[in-house]
Amino acid sequence: MSDDGTTAIVQLSGVTKVYRQGKVDVHALRGLTLEVGRGEFTAICGPSGSGKTTALNLIGALDSATSGSIVLEGQELERLNRRERSRLRRDRIGFVFQAYNLMPVLTAYENAETVMWVQGIDLTERRRRVLELLAAVGLEGLEDRKPAELSGGQQQRVAIARAIAANPAVVLADEPTANVDSETADRLMGIMEELNRAQGVTFLFSTHDPRVMERARRLVRLVDGQIATDERRG
Amino acid sequence: MRGRGTSLLVMAWRNLWRNRRRTLLTLSSIAFGVFLAVLFTAMQDRNWADMIDVAARLGSGHVTLQHPEYLESPTLSRTVRRTDALTALALDDPDVTRAVPRILGQVMLATARESRGAGFIAYDPAVEDSVTFTVLDALVEGESFSTPDDGGILLGARLAANLGVGMRDKIVYTMTDRTGEIVSGLARVSGIVRTGAPSVDRGVSLLPLDAARGVLGYAPNEATLVAVFIDDERRAEQVAERLGAATASEVAAQPWHAVQRELAAFIALKVGGARFMELLIAVLVAAGIFNTLFVSVMERMREFGILLAIGWSPGRLFGLLMLECGWLGVLGLLAAALLTVGPYYYLSTAGIDVSGLIGDSAAEVSGVAMPTTFRVGIYPEHLAIIGVTAFLATLLSGLYPAWKASRVDPVETITLV
Repeated sequence: MSDDGTTAIVQLSGVTKVYRQGKVDVHALRGLTLEVGRGEFTAICGPSGSGKTTALNLIGALDSATSGSIVLEGQELERLNRRERSRLRRDRIGFVFQAYNLMPVLTAYENAETVMWVQGIDLTERRRRVLELLAAVGLEGLEDRKPAELSGGQQQRVAIARAIAANPAVVLADEPTANVDSETADRLMGIMEELNRAQGVTFLFSTHDPRVMERARRLVRLVDGQIATDERRG
Repeated sequence: MRGRGTSLLVMAWRNLWRNRRRTLLTLSSIAFGVFLAVLFTAMQDRNWADMIDVAARLGSGHVTLQHPEYLESPTLSRTVRRTDALTALALDDPDVTRAVPRILGQVMLATARESRGAGFIAYDPAVEDSVTFTVLDALVEGESFSTPDDGGILLGARLAANLGVGMRDKIVYTMTDRTGEIVSGLARVSGIVRTGAPSVDRGVSLLPLDAARGVLGYAPNEATLVAVFIDDERRAEQVAERLGAATASEVAAQPWHAVQRELAAFIALKVGGARFMELLIAVLVAAGIFNTLFVSVMERMREFGILLAIGWSPGRLFGLLMLECGWLGVLGLLAAALLTVGPYYYLSTAGIDVSGLIGDSAAEVSGVAMPTTFRVGIYPEHLAIIGVTAFLATLLSGLYPAWKASRVDPVETITLV
């Protein structure tokens, strides 16, 4: 169970991450302990170099911790091999990156479908789900457009649709509003809030953006690889 | 793709055209490489096939039925008998188109003023024509014998000049018979041949078969060999094996390359050189393809990182890149076909006359004049080998870039920080 009584999806216990840069060891995370419950809408914030993106990389099974334990839905990530991590990312984690998330040669529809396609989900089911999601993120009628024919905000919406298409346990969004204007950022946050509220999708952001921080229901502030504050709202 | 769902094949196809200019350059390098390889090989195939054919028709056939010791010690005492039966036996083989008896040997030709040593070929004008005996096409004066015991002789143009004889002049020919006795015959010059091969034109005479038999004391069905002709000289070995098994022990069946050793060695040397050149072309083309594929992969590292992050397996990513190479190979071969078909058709039918470059003294190998018209004609299996090699070279060029893409570290390439 997480601190607020919800079922914990993500559990980090004493996680450290040390990068070697030249001859210098950089301590990105220093004994980070954090639990994220199902259905949370959490933002990790902090100054550059505070370790927020490193934390997301570790939770997303993209990188390995130097020490400590990371558990996602009961699976200890450090015990998984490369193939198992890849499968875990495919089936249980959704990703939204800062920008240029999409495959330029695929249409909005195809980009949103990608994860379900590699999962081997039936074509009819894929079609139903993708069209539903693209409509939910306000991209109805733009399914056949390639990324170059979409605005930055529209591209991020496709990325959100792709991230949640396969019903992941958690969506990890790294600075999802970093490259869009205020109005688009508001709209993106609104869409993610709605997906969180209506479909129970768990979101975990890393962000600098005050607009994201404002709307997060839990705000974890990192400083020098450690939690400085962990604030829950309404 | 919306209706059918995402497809790796379609994705690979679209990726190919993201940088149209680079793809077209890669395709043109494949096409040009294949074009060169095809024309180069076709030129060699045609040239060697023609030379082998000319040599076979001028002498001992594509397969020769002869006395087992004749090959190592060719004398007029080592003969085969019952040439009619041997001819019939050869013609029973499905690959054999013609079979004719001949006597080959050395002769001394003498006129009142001059004498010259030469080779002679005695043939039966009743069963031979310019198809089996192409030298008859080179008659510049006179004509072939009318009967097997015709009293004429045909001379190479240079030999006739050296002897100082012209049409209808008398010549005494002297040779050694099967017992070692010196025997002679008298003939009148009934034709002059000019083949373009210096050694033929200055050193070969042609006699009627029965006339030679009479002088040599041969039986009516006796000759030094039966020359067997086939359509495809590459099957000479198999035909020789079959005929060898079917004939008695006093007859040996030899393929052309055992009889024409000098020519066979020359062709083997040239073919080896050609294979090396083709390998060099393949390596150069592959290096070009590797370079463009590698650059293309390096430019897309972030994309590969994202694909791996969202759950693509390295194997799927590797497959995508290899499919791109596969498309390149297929399109490259299509482009090569378009580029090659026109020049190939022209060169295989009209050809290019290079006699002006060679001059009057035609180059020859083992008594066979090099063709003076540059023509091409490729064996189907060689064409298939070039196509498969080009395709495999394209795939091989893509192996390392594809492997590198599949080993991308998403954290490093997505640069989340």
